Formats: sequence, C-alpha cells, structure tokens
Amino acid sequence: MNDSRAGRGQDRNRDVDETRRRLLFSTGVTTVVLGAVGFLGATARFLSPNVLYEPPSRAPIGSPDEFPPGTVTFLPDHRLFLFNNPAGFYAISSVCTHLGCNVRHLAGEGFACPCHGSLFDANGQVIHGPAPQPLSWFALSLSPRGELVVDTRQIVQPEYRFRV
Amino acid sequence: MSVLTAVGERGLATWRAVRRSIFRVGWPRTDKDRAAAMISSVVLHVHPAKVQRHSLRASYTLGLGLISFYLFGVLIVTGVVLMLYYTPHPPDAYRSMKDLQFVVTFGLVLRNMHRWAAHAMVFVVFLHMCRVFFTGGYKGPRQFNWVVGVGLLLLTLGLSFTGYLLPWDQLAFWAITVGSNIAGYAPWLGAEVKYLLLGGNVIGAGALLRFYVLHCIILPLLAIMLVAVHFYRVRKDGLSAPPLPEPPPVEEMVAGRFPPSTRSYGLMALTDRPAQPVVEAEPDDEVLAWPHLLYRELLLLLVVLVVLHAVALLFNAPLEEIADPTRTPNPAKAPWYFLGLQELVSYSAFVGGVLVPTLMVLVLVLIPYLDPAPRGVGVWFAPERSWANRVFAALASVTILVTLVGMFFRGPNWAWVWPWTQ
Repeated sequence: MNDSRAGRGQDRNRDVDETRRRLLFSTGVTTVVLGAVGFLGATARFLSPNVLYEPPSRAPIGSPDEFPPGTVTFLPDHRLFLFNNPAGFYAISSVCTHLGCNVRHLAGEGFACPCHGSLFDANGQVIHGPAPQPLSWFALSLSPRGELVVDTRQIVQPEYRFRV
Repeated sequence: MSVLTAVGERGLATWRAVRRSIFRVGWPRTDKDRAAAMISSVVLHVHPAKVQRHSLRASYTLGLGLISFYLFGVLIVTGVVLMLYYTPHPPDAYRSMKDLQFVVTFGLVLRNMHRWAAHAMVFVVFLHMCRVFFTGGYKGPRQFNWVVGVGLLLLTLGLSFTGYLLPWDQLAFWAITVGSNIAGYAPWLGAEVKYLLLGGNVIGAGALLRFYVLHCIILPLLAIMLVAVHFYRVRKDGLSAPPLPEPPPVEEMVAGRFPPSTRSYGLMALTDRPAQPVVEAEPDDEVLAWPHLLYRELLLLLVVLVVLHAVALLFNAPLEEIADPTRTPNPAKAPWYFLGLQELVSYSAFVGGVLVPTLMVLVLVLIPYLDPAPRGVGVWFAPERSWANRVFAALASVTILVTLVGMFFRGPNWAWVWPWTQ
C-alpha cells in the first residue's frame, strides 16, 4: 500500500520533470531558431548593393545646338529619343515597358518593339501589344554650362516641352 | 642475388599492402566478391549488390536519369576548366570567349561541349520527368523523390539561364534582359527580386558577377546536394518502380526495428525502407549489379561521351558580337527552353511570365499527392492511369508546342513567320 503510493508520487515527479524538460527544450529551440532567422534576415540586406556603379540617372547629353529643330536623335548611351520640335525639346525613353528591349522609332508613326511586337504612338502611348505601360518621358534641364541635361529618374507627362 | 630477391619480395609485399590499404577487396573474380566490392567501395556502393532485372531493361527507363547525371558530370568538368580562362567582368568576359575560341588549345572544343551538354541536359531532364510520369514512378514510396526531381529540373534551368549571360555577347545580353524583366513582373517582390538578381537596375558588371557566382558556386552546390538526395532515395526505394500486381500490404514500421524482410546486403539492412517491393520480388528476378548494372552504366557513359564529342567537334557554340545595351537584335529571343514562356509573355507579361510558370511548378510538385492511388506503376502508359497520362501528355505537348512556335515561327518584331520561307 505504502509502496504503491510512493510509486505514484515518483510517477508524478517524473511527469513534472518530463513536462519541465520539454518546456525548457522547446523554449531553447525556439530561441535559437528565432535568433538564427533574425540574423539571417538581417544579413540578407547584404545582398542588396548600396552603391551602384551604373550610368548616372542625371546626365548631360550635349548642347541644344547639336539637335536642330524638327529632328529626332537616338541617344544609345542614355537609351532615349530626343525630339526637337517647334514647341520645344522632349525626351522619350527607348526602353520598352514590356521586357526592356530598345524600341525603334518609325518616323511619323511612333515606336515599335522588336522583342514582342508592342506598338506605341508618337507620344509613346501603347497602341497594341503586350506592353503594359506607355514609354516614359524624361525631364530635361539646362546645365550651368548650357548643356541639355536629362534626368531618367524624373518622369514627366507627355505635354512636357522644354524650351531653351 | 639473394639480397636482390629479398629486396624484390619486400618491395612486392609493400606494394600489396599499399594496394590493400586503398582497395580492401582485390579485383573480384566471383559473384560473392563482386557483391562485396559493391558494398565496400565508396564509389560503387551507390549501387545495391543486386538489382531487379526489371529496372535494367533499357526500354523501361531509357537511361534518361543516368544520362542527365553524366551530362551534369561533363558540365562540372568542362565548366571548371573553362573557369581558368574566364574573367567575369565586361568587356573582358567577351575577350575570354574569343581567347577560348581562337587561342586556347582545345578551348573551342571544351566550350562547345559545355554549351551542348547544357542544352542536352535541359532536354534530357525534361524527358526523364516525362518517363517517370508515364511509368507512374512518382507513386509511393517515391512521392518525395519526384518533388526533389522537380527541384532538380528548376536548378537545371537556373544553371543554364545563369550560364547564358557569361559569354557577354548580344545573344547573352538580350536573352537575359528579357528573362530578368520577366522576373520583375512577379507580384509584390518582383522588382526587389530583379534588383537582387542583377545587383542593380541594369545588366552590367554587377549582374555578370552575380550570375557568375550563381552559375559556378551556388547553383552547382545546390544541385549536387539535391542529386545526392535524389540518388539516395532511388537507392533506398529501389532503382525504379517495379510493377505492383496488387496494393501492397502496409507494414507497420517501428523506429529502431529492422524491417522484417531482410533480403538485404550489408549497409542496406540498417535502414528503414519499405519492405514490400523486396518481399514481392522473386529471387530470380534479381541479378548482381556487377556486372549487369555496372557494365550497362559504363556503356551508356561511353555513348554519351562519344556523342558529345562528335557534336562538339562538328558544331560550334554560337558567339555573336559583344553585348551592346544600345542595340536590340530583332527579334530578341530568350534561351530556347524559355521561348515557350516568351511566346506566352508576348500576350501578357504577367500571365506568361509569372502565373503560368508558377502554376506549372505548383502542379508538378503536387502531382504525387494529388494522384496517390498505387495503380499502374512500373509500366509505360498503364491503362489504369490513362486519364492522368492524357492530362500530362496534353500539358507536355502544349509546352513543347509553344516552345517550337517561339523557336521557329517568330521573326522580326515577334511577327509570325513560316520557318521555310526564311
């Protein structure tokens, strides 16, 4: 009788021990896992470069005189078309908004993309094809030295004209 | 004279001792020794000592998994030696291609082999997947190995895609432009993924270096690990699924207890594995892996190497002019295995570039769990599985069809052309 009661007490103690151990173990494991995930998550920021050695988004493209009135000039290094019409200068991106190919300018018609056949009108608006968005228009300005400067980060509306 | 003999005998004894320290078993001359050799050698023990006659039939497996593995081996060997001459920085990257083509001894052949083996591997891995599906090889207990296989298919595509940029020619540059912009269409994280992949906003030096590291280190390591898991599971579950006459009796597996059937050899006995296929197999259904399996493997290796050499000697890998971000070739095409996607992308970038591929991968991963019934395993086109086979065949055909359209029926401005009119 006495023995069996003592045995039950031992059993209970063992159960408590077991529970306590399981709790400590799972707390420990959770802490280590959370810590590891946190460290890895923070370190993942390493993958994203902070300094880009790419062509600058703001760049001089030459004196306004180099682009006579009524002409369209493709500037391959900046991947844009520079227009000079009576109302002023404007710059349209040559990067197709679909998958990044260079579009071709078709005089009087607009732009065509060689990769997937997107067509844009003279203002860069999508006529048809898979391109989801119109071609970007970039802001222009004049540098202190009198050069035209394009800023490919600064997107403007198609009414934009820059007068020198 | 007797001194010479003594020295000679001593030398011979040392030589034998050294040889035994490397190869514990001598050249095996009996079946028993061959079985022992299979188990005691680290290289050979990827094989079981005995294999089912069924899985040796060339018409059953077509050897496609093994061919993929050989191609992977060729790619590692040729890839490592190509690295000795390659500079992962534009424009030197392109110059190293020219060096390989015109200056380095056998550089041309090794690059050709690398290129053609890469194309072949994409194709053979795809065929291997079809073979496993049509023979019901993804059914229990091999469900998870099918999932590992899907991972290997994706890694194969990733390896091929990252390698595509490295020559830094027009073909490379514009294929990767199209491909990486597709990634940008993924919802929520697309733009960030593209930024991380390219290490910037444009494909330049940073992107080339990232693709190089992915291609030469990260993806191959992942692939090697997955191949190891894939092979381990194949080894433990049996070389390929044998035909099952009736649903297997489910044996309760108790951890720490050996399976009741112990027709196993050496190391195999120590692992829990489904007892069923071994129990069902008739003793005379099995033959010794050496020579029956081993010699077939070596013969297939020989065939693969001979064909690859022939192709590499006859056809040069393409190399166009140096990458020019200002000039898009017309048409600009992705690598051929992504032309199906590019065709879909020409209708809608999101649907073709993100939705369809994601769904396809999801369906592939889920196949063994959506279709778990253990019937029609181990034979080609089992009538019990005709429905599953039809669906899969239809999907595979559509994939092949759109790929062919992208390859041959799309000309300048992605307009429809007939290949024979060009």
